[in-house]
Amino acid sequence: MFGLETFSYDDEGYRDCSVTGLRIHKSAEDMVKLFGLTAIVALLIGGIFAIFVALTRWELVGLLAPADFYTFLSIHAWNLLIFWMIFMEIAVLYVGGPYILGRRLSLPRVAKAGYALMLGGAVLINVAIWLTKQPNQAPLLTSYAPLPSSPWFYLGVVVFLTGALVAALPFLATIWHEKRENPGQTLPLVAFGAFITSIVAAEAIVGGLITYVPTLLWRVGVLAHIDAAWYRQMYWIVGHGSQQINLLAMISVWYFMTHVVGGAEVASEKVSRSAFVLYLFFINMGAAHHLMSDPGVSAAWRVWNTSYAAYGAVIASMIHAFAIPAGLEIGRRKRGEGGGTFGWLWSAPWKDPGFAATILSIILFGFLGGITGVMMGQMQLNMTWHNTLATVGHFHATVATGTTLAFMGLGYYVLRLVFGREWIARPIATIQPYLYGGAMGVTSLMMMYLGILYGIPRRHPSVMDIPGTEFSFAAARPLFVIFGVMALLSILGGALFVVVAVGTLLGGDRYGGSLPVERPTTVADGGDHDDTAHHLLSMRGTFILTSVFLGVFVVMWALNWYLLSQLWQVG
Amino acid sequence: MKSPIESPEGDWWNETVNRRETIWLGLSGVWAVTLFGWMAGWMQFGEQNQVGETLKLSTADYREKVNAYKQGAGDLDGALVPAGDDVYIGAMRYAFDGLPAVLETGREYVFHLGTYDVQHGFSVRQEDTLSKQLSLQMLPGYEWKVPMQFDEPGTYHVVCNEFCGTGHRTMHATFEVQESVPDVSGGSGSGESDGTGGSDAAYDGWFTGDARGGAAGNWNGSAVDETGANEVTVTVGPGGEYVYDPAAVRVSPGTTVTFEWASPTHNVLVESAPDDWSGHEPIESEGFSYQHTFESEGVYTYYCQPHLALGMKGVVEVV
Repeated sequence: MFGLETFSYDDEGYRDCSVTGLRIHKSAEDMVKLFGLTAIVALLIGGIFAIFVALTRWELVGLLAPADFYTFLSIHAWNLLIFWMIFMEIAVLYVGGPYILGRRLSLPRVAKAGYALMLGGAVLINVAIWLTKQPNQAPLLTSYAPLPSSPWFYLGVVVFLTGALVAALPFLATIWHEKRENPGQTLPLVAFGAFITSIVAAEAIVGGLITYVPTLLWRVGVLAHIDAAWYRQMYWIVGHGSQQINLLAMISVWYFMTHVVGGAEVASEKVSRSAFVLYLFFINMGAAHHLMSDPGVSAAWRVWNTSYAAYGAVIASMIHAFAIPAGLEIGRRKRGEGGGTFGWLWSAPWKDPGFAATILSIILFGFLGGITGVMMGQMQLNMTWHNTLATVGHFHATVATGTTLAFMGLGYYVLRLVFGREWIARPIATIQPYLYGGAMGVTSLMMMYLGILYGIPRRHPSVMDIPGTEFSFAAARPLFVIFGVMALLSILGGALFVVVAVGTLLGGDRYGGSLPVERPTTVADGGDHDDTAHHLLSMRGTFILTSVFLGVFVVMWALNWYLLSQLWQVG
Repeated sequence: MKSPIESPEGDWWNETVNRRETIWLGLSGVWAVTLFGWMAGWMQFGEQNQVGETLKLSTADYREKVNAYKQGAGDLDGALVPAGDDVYIGAMRYAFDGLPAVLETGREYVFHLGTYDVQHGFSVRQEDTLSKQLSLQMLPGYEWKVPMQFDEPGTYHVVCNEFCGTGHRTMHATFEVQESVPDVSGGSGSGESDGTGGSDAAYDGWFTGDARGGAAGNWNGSAVDETGANEVTVTVGPGGEYVYDPAAVRVSPGTTVTFEWASPTHNVLVESAPDDWSGHEPIESEGFSYQHTFESEGVYTYYCQPHLALGMKGVVEVV
């Protein structure tokens, strides 16, 4: 595909990966390349629009007029939160299914049809947003009815979501064939994670169709009325659900990458798989936190959904937060690369961008994205977060920092293991995850401060001057300076990834097969040690790190409640 | 080796879990219960809970409720003083109907939140402590009654923080909280017309950004001359634009001007007039029309209250 092949396949279309030992079929590989490259195009488009969005909100520059700002913000949001993510996630499903199981991709024509629909929908959405004219408004991410957007936009969303659902079918068919042929065999953990991801994705997408088909009918006049509260509740099934696909895909990538690049093993199959099952049942209710300050749902509904549901998913996330570093710790200890408490970390391949991006993704997602997600998911705290810039900070910590870094890390190894090319400009590749992760982390943090400490609203092109009034948010100006500079640095970091990726595809040398760790581990090869049972190995380094995490969690939680308690009396 | 990309072998379900991982599971469970318990407890003992009755009603019905409330409210320097403990706020593109208002410290009010058109946000902060802020969603078709009580006097600023259209950032209002509010009788009018009637070509700069509100987007420097006509039409918000079309019209005395609404949530308030023309204060939507016959010579400047900041201003010049 694209004339970028470096591998040759046998008569049946398979090849053996000399690095991971996986048996890979061309049908899956072609689709992974296609979806992966399209995702990078969406990343590029969204990134270019990010420049305009950031330079408008940083009012020292104040680049765009209000009407243009909303158009640019909408394109930024749809390309990065939806297209970059979902194209990449389909690629992750095809890696998690056919690659890991050593099978061909079932129903390859369906995969191509799904791709065509997704691409068509994505193009339609972008064009419809770009051509927005009165009385239509730019949809932003949420297109909250009854504020009208172009009918073509809603049509584009329906086409794109249908395409994503179609593209998930070949993955499910592959799993089905695997289970028919090997009924007694357990799926590998990464394939299991991908399987759960696909179910959560299907729920989100069906929710999206339930939302957008009636909205399209309303917009073209078939339905006379659309209820705003109904729209919000339905919309967030896909609005947040799509981000939960990110979460599950990202965690599957974490297990995959820490293993392939860092030599991690599975600390406990039982615990990690149970955590995925908790997600299956509970994570979709996390979307309820968008309705915590809404009139349309009762207080009982809100408390119920932020209690039983959200905490089922929170526990699952905390389990992964322990299990993944613990897997790395014992995996490296077994290899003799883990003296002392943190030796397994110091000796890790920090100069490998695939590894660095993965670890930064785990740390930044947990500390910045995870903690803030729980904060705003507490019903009363939500009042102080709702629709402020802090919520934007939250999802830039989760999606733009966490998931994007994880996908970048995976992307580095897709270049090596799927396209068979060694990275160009190695020093740039080495610093790229640190530059991007660091700058985007600070950018997210600034947005959280601006939202919580100054009450800066999201979705405002300017807050330093509110026309017709003397009131303004000028006190927040210094933080906006840090925000602006860091946002530009993170865009630079993202651009460097695209440069390295495209340059590697076009001009990279053949990949020689060297990895920072040897696979499989020597002990499993019949080396001179027995494969020690995991409950006998030390996880003390991980335990200290996660205890620090829990400590920060508790302190942030207490501070948020303190801030809330200073408010006037409500309710 | 236990690899995440290979099928696990043997009885993996019954393998012993590492002691530290087990402890972590326990800590996570305890933490989740704490999070929930605190939230449920705050519902009972905390002072900040965004709960209250929600009514379903049409946007037109809600607008009538707000109007009735405004009729009954007192007036203090142009701000409403609620007659009872209820405070009604109707959000529309791009203004908060029912504000500004003056409230008392230590008294529990019930805020009624609703909108006339699309979704809006009710984001409130105290002027000098920006970190003391909260935000509630306002939906068309719903009236949400949220009790609030303020102990600290001062100015509270309300901004809309749900995207509602291109003029979203201009949507701002205030209410004042005072230790004691003087007794003002109910039934005030709007009364904002202190005429300064200039008559030069630029109408004292009324269409520029130097006057109240933003600059008019469709002012081309001269009025449309309709002198001699008996009837003239001014379109209010053509194509969803925030303008009157034509921006300025020149007519003879005795001409009837028909204002025809072409998009939702506009009104006609008088900025200055040579006689006692009072405009049309209620917010109306497309299909509505209002007529007035202009008898006295002079310049009548008027504007749309929700969209003044966007430059929705007009002039009728009688010569």
